[in-house]
Amino acid sequence: MLSRTDMILGAPLARGRAALATLTAVSVLALSSAAAMAQDYDPQAVVNIGSLYEPQNLDNTQGAGQGINEAFNGNVYEGLFVLTDDGDVEPKLVDSYEISDDGLTYTFTLKDGVTFHSGETMTSADVKSSIERVTAENSASSRKKTLAVIDSIETPDDKTVVVTLSAPSISLPYNLSYVWIVNDDAGDISASEDGTGPYTLQEWRRGSALAMVPFEDYWGEEPTNGGVMFQYFTDATAQNNALLTGAVDIITSVQSPDALSMFTDNPDFTVSEGASTTKELMAYNDRVAPFDNAQVRAALSRAVDKEKLLQAIWGDYGTLIGSFVPPTDPWYVDLTDVNAYDPESAKEMLAEAGYPDGFSFTLDTPDYDPHPVVAQFLQNELAKIDVDVKINIITANEWYTKIYKAHDFDATLQEHVNHRDIVFYGNPDFYWGYDNPEVTRLISESESAHSMEEQTEMLTEANKIIAEDAASMWLYLYPQIVVSTSNVSGYPLNGLNSQFFAYDIQKAD
Amino acid sequence: MSAESTELPRRRRRGNATFWLGLILVGGIVLAGIVSFFWTPYALSDMAGGRLEAPSAAHWAGTDRLGRDLFTQLMIGARIALIVGCGAVAIGAVIGVATGILAAFATRFLDDALAAFFDILIAFPTLLIAMLVVAAREEASLGTAILALGIGLSPIVGRITRILTKQVLGQDYITAARVSGTSWGAIVYWHILPNIVPFLGVNLALQFGLAVMAEASLSYLGLGAPPPNASWGRMLQEAQGTVYTAPWGAVLPGLALFALVIGINLLADGLRDRFDPARRDG
Repeated sequence: MLSRTDMILGAPLARGRAALATLTAVSVLALSSAAAMAQDYDPQAVVNIGSLYEPQNLDNTQGAGQGINEAFNGNVYEGLFVLTDDGDVEPKLVDSYEISDDGLTYTFTLKDGVTFHSGETMTSADVKSSIERVTAENSASSRKKTLAVIDSIETPDDKTVVVTLSAPSISLPYNLSYVWIVNDDAGDISASEDGTGPYTLQEWRRGSALAMVPFEDYWGEEPTNGGVMFQYFTDATAQNNALLTGAVDIITSVQSPDALSMFTDNPDFTVSEGASTTKELMAYNDRVAPFDNAQVRAALSRAVDKEKLLQAIWGDYGTLIGSFVPPTDPWYVDLTDVNAYDPESAKEMLAEAGYPDGFSFTLDTPDYDPHPVVAQFLQNELAKIDVDVKINIITANEWYTKIYKAHDFDATLQEHVNHRDIVFYGNPDFYWGYDNPEVTRLISESESAHSMEEQTEMLTEANKIIAEDAASMWLYLYPQIVVSTSNVSGYPLNGLNSQFFAYDIQKAD
Repeated sequence: MSAESTELPRRRRRGNATFWLGLILVGGIVLAGIVSFFWTPYALSDMAGGRLEAPSAAHWAGTDRLGRDLFTQLMIGARIALIVGCGAVAIGAVIGVATGILAAFATRFLDDALAAFFDILIAFPTLLIAMLVVAAREEASLGTAILALGIGLSPIVGRITRILTKQVLGQDYITAARVSGTSWGAIVYWHILPNIVPFLGVNLALQFGLAVMAEASLSYLGLGAPPPNASWGRMLQEAQGTVYTAPWGAVLPGLALFALVIGINLLADGLRDRFDPARRDG
């Protein structure tokens, strides 16, 4: 699951019409929870949150996994900017900022009176060291690359940070929303923390729970609860049972539709569906034969009935996507018709590409749901065009070392959770090794765009090209479903980039 | 005296009943496993039904999430359980009996070393040893699982063989055979093996049950034979998420596993009653 972690790149804040439609749906849900909020709540109550994503350690630059973003982003650590649950980027620890006319110099003025949990006051030196933590040589953060555009960071005084870029970067505020501001005296933070957020870490029980309590000297509004406890489960059924029996109050994402039937018709629980950015895909190693041939990839895409797969995994939930871009990204266009299900033409294309008798490849399959079932479905579908799939079950750790790091694979299954992550296709060194100079150019130039319209236009173009190229096989978009007991409200629904802001959660008696 | 004479036949009948019940359970599963080579209701990967259908005339055990027939998977699972059980026990027996006899014959030092080695291996759960062997291999396969479980079982067999062999070696007729010029090889063949096989056989039957359980556990953990091999352990794992909406998907492979392991144990009990002269004489 390390894979789902730090893979965040991004771009700025434009929003398409499709996203607006989703937002309306979300705000209707938010209104209904606002009604529940009207009743009294207990400001001392501890909220128990069930999650399947226990962090490997507590440092987001050391391959901690998506769980650390879920637990710590906005709760324990804050950035200069924040990506809100609605997908907007807003200033957080920045009071104001200015951009020079050439787009190369950002001058940030920091908020006054922000203190770290250890008691020290936040200064520009902390900001500088925090950004350098992410870009450092030994940092395992994949955001490193997006911040590589930073040429120098200067701190003329305690409240001012001047960042100079080597090229314009329209996504800089978005990218900085992932950079935790950590006290520069904190040292190793893989098992402790020193952030500025509304909660401090109380206890981390490895393998079971992370407890956080409100920070008394927090600069902003205090949380509406008396603390949160993330409880970790390795199994979705156990997690659902914990919610049923009241051991947890909320589960951050429901992993199977079969569990939902226990909650949907029960007045004791609230089921909410937000906008998801989690994509299930089969990533080919585009460097190796036969997957270096776009025709082969397109043929495989046409051989798989994705609608049937989505129905098998999610029943009536979830959405089909024709590329890597979910409807909440500004550069979304409906591409489900590109290389759509058509087994007849798949066989012909494969023959044209030089494989009339098919071929055989190994599919490295993470050992957790839904990947093994998806793998078997693909095995069946591809067998019909004489492509023989060998399933090799691997652990999340092996995935990280063998595939993400060493690029030693034919094809693999993975879910990618992030918002605005089409930019991975512009990086030929990424694990799937997709290398189309035109896409690389569009994606890198979109960063220097002068307006969001221009950026959106370029990324939409890139989006269409990767779909035509069948760069990967995009299977479906997960639904984003949060279930809570009905006395709990105020939690985020979309979970963008797996964040889970806990400070507005209210729990009634 | 009269009490004893009525006790004996009843005890025998009970022994027989266990034996027959075990034979029926195991026989049924063996039959299903053999038939699966020639016929199954559907092809294993045929997504013929709907999502999570309940058992019906078309699908006797229902279907899984992909619409595949569960009865077919159960039959193939029987085949895999038996292959793994037999294979693992065969490997465990060959390694275990050879090292066990070697230890019994060996000098004091080597004997102690081997005995300590068995004890250390036994201290680790068979499943853990099997997981290590699987992890050492590049890709999991049915063969790896069998090898891993066979190695995991071998110290148990070795230890028992060593003790049984030592008992036989202490008998006067062994000394007599040696004095009359019989070679050690002949002694192993004519005297030791025939004496230890009945006890060992019962124990191997119990190990078979262990191997079947361990294979299910390996598959459950994703370390067994890779899909599409339908192991009962993997069926259990895949049905776990849908246990509320489609309980049969988890219950049926669980029952099959239970029937095979219980059946083997009953069979072993019955066999012991037949072979064990002390028990036979009351």
